[in-house]
Amino acid sequence: MDARLQVTDSNGRRVVPVDKAIFLIGRRTAADLQLVNADVSREHAEIARDGMRYLLRDRGSRYGTFVNGEQVTERALEHGDRIRLGRTDAIELVFMTEASASTHASGLREIGSDADLRQMAAILNGLRALGSGRVLEDVLTLVLDSALDVTKADRGFIMLARADGELEFKTARGRGRITLPGTSFNTSSKIPREVFQTGESRIVGDLMDGNLAGMHEGTIAIGIRHVLCVPLSVHPMAASPDQGIAARVIGVLYLDGRERSTILSQATRSSLEAFATQAALAIESARLYAEAAEKARIERDLLVAAQIQQALLPAGSYETAFADLAAASVPCRTVGGDFFDYIDLGARGFGFGLGDVAGKGAPAALLAAAVQSNFIAQAPVSADPADTLTRVNNALLRRAIEARFATMFHGVIALDGRLSYSNGGQEPPLVLGRSQTSWLETGGPVLGLLPGATYEYDTVTLSPGDLVVICSDGVTEARNFAGEEFGRERLIEVTEGLHGAKPDMVLERLFEAVRKFSQGTAQGDDITGLVLRYRGNPT
Amino acid sequence: MQIDQKMAGDIMVVHITGDITLNQGGDVLLKDKIQSLLQQGHKKLVLDLGGVAYVDSAGLGQLVQIHATAKNQGGSLRLANVTKKLKDLLVVTKLVTVFDSYDSEKEALASFS
Repeated sequence: MDARLQVTDSNGRRVVPVDKAIFLIGRRTAADLQLVNADVSREHAEIARDGMRYLLRDRGSRYGTFVNGEQVTERALEHGDRIRLGRTDAIELVFMTEASASTHASGLREIGSDADLRQMAAILNGLRALGSGRVLEDVLTLVLDSALDVTKADRGFIMLARADGELEFKTARGRGRITLPGTSFNTSSKIPREVFQTGESRIVGDLMDGNLAGMHEGTIAIGIRHVLCVPLSVHPMAASPDQGIAARVIGVLYLDGRERSTILSQATRSSLEAFATQAALAIESARLYAEAAEKARIERDLLVAAQIQQALLPAGSYETAFADLAAASVPCRTVGGDFFDYIDLGARGFGFGLGDVAGKGAPAALLAAAVQSNFIAQAPVSADPADTLTRVNNALLRRAIEARFATMFHGVIALDGRLSYSNGGQEPPLVLGRSQTSWLETGGPVLGLLPGATYEYDTVTLSPGDLVVICSDGVTEARNFAGEEFGRERLIEVTEGLHGAKPDMVLERLFEAVRKFSQGTAQGDDITGLVLRYRGNPT
Repeated sequence: MQIDQKMAGDIMVVHITGDITLNQGGDVLLKDKIQSLLQQGHKKLVLDLGGVAYVDSAGLGQLVQIHATAKNQGGSLRLANVTKKLKDLLVVTKLVTVFDSYDSEKEALASFS
């Protein structure tokens, strides 16, 4: 069998035949084996054929020639000898004469298992570190560095699926533990997408081959030709082994390089797939952890928002010379979309309003704040309640948010008991007189939805002790266990006999009734009420 | 929420089953459906709401929105089989005049001729 050298360096691994009487190894171009490394002299060493023997001679190199760790000037080589040039292991040469590793326990196989061991060590290191990772970015970086160690690839990327199912670059690392700058890179977009969709690894030996080249000109231009891409899949815990639950692919691990190196070996692929399974779990748990932390932060924000929202509402009770009121709002989530407000309008009387924004939670709360502040700004400069609602409607339409609207009731009670009001799509308020009840329905459509909507107002005269009870639809539409709604009839029942009563007592009675009615069911909507009592003209 | 569609002559009939609510994303589903029908050139639309048990305020807003969208794109959206519950809601919110609504699909279809 012919003599040859197995060369492992930054260019990967290759086998070079020792096919000359004097075989020169060095940095110079004319060398039979040219090695580019600072420790290698221009003419470093030679292998001379001497009958059946091969002699390795140092050619006066600066940093020395070593065989199996021992510095030599001349040495007869044997199959499996390791040759080192200079001070480092950056370049490894193994001298071989025998046909295959199977005849001897040394040589190739040893090298192979050695490399495998290094791979395993890198993987184990990676896995150990993954277990302690809490920050997603750290975990991603760790995964990539370990993967680069194992494969000797030039670049590594992790792409994770966004909510819309598209892959997104999360982390990019280069060999030597560096982060590649930027947010998009010259990589194949077809290969990762295929791996993501099929959940199957792909090895592409050469992007120049076949029909892939056209799609990867950008990548080929920078010299990248070899790609290994494995899925990151999370395997959910199954209750029993035979219970099949499909793995969920959360992204891909993408490695590429200029040299074939070990990227393309089957062993690398299987090691990396095993590694990717653990990595996917670590990524997923870091992501869940980050989500939980984010959720906690949002909850804190919402609590502050709820405090602000309560502060935006006026005091829950108020008294003028001729009327008094009580009001309260209980959101079904942390913040709500209901509001109430009131304002002294001088000679016109006392203005009050209650509104309800479509939807719930934070979006509704933001819009509710806008409607409320518009209302309080417009009421004093309006001619009548219908004029106020028209202005609020126009103001909301200037900043229209698609399909979002508010309902609102606005009334102005004068000293003499005349109540003028306009109802913008709000559940009609109840007027509780001494001997009869009525509903305040005149007005117009909901606010913020229809350009050019017109609003009307009506005037009714209240007698001392008469009550106006305004509720959001969270009251009338509260449901009991059987799915029935609270409804207007129950509103009348609850307030029966309360003519002349103090507003806060009426409001308390109403809320109590709603609580009792809907006992055992979750509050489905914000519940807000305002009770106004006309006390009579004091003059 | 489930959306089924069928052609009746040159009129597209969209049949909704289930609640139109914010929570179940029904409001957005409905909007997307109508948008895509309009883009496909269907200008005469009947929305059959016979299978709709509950419409919340967000769903109501979306109904008004798609009605306006259809109108702006030269189309017409008419409602059929409006339940009593929804009719009450339209009355309270005074949106009843915004829609052309009919008691049955047949009447809604006939209104186009």
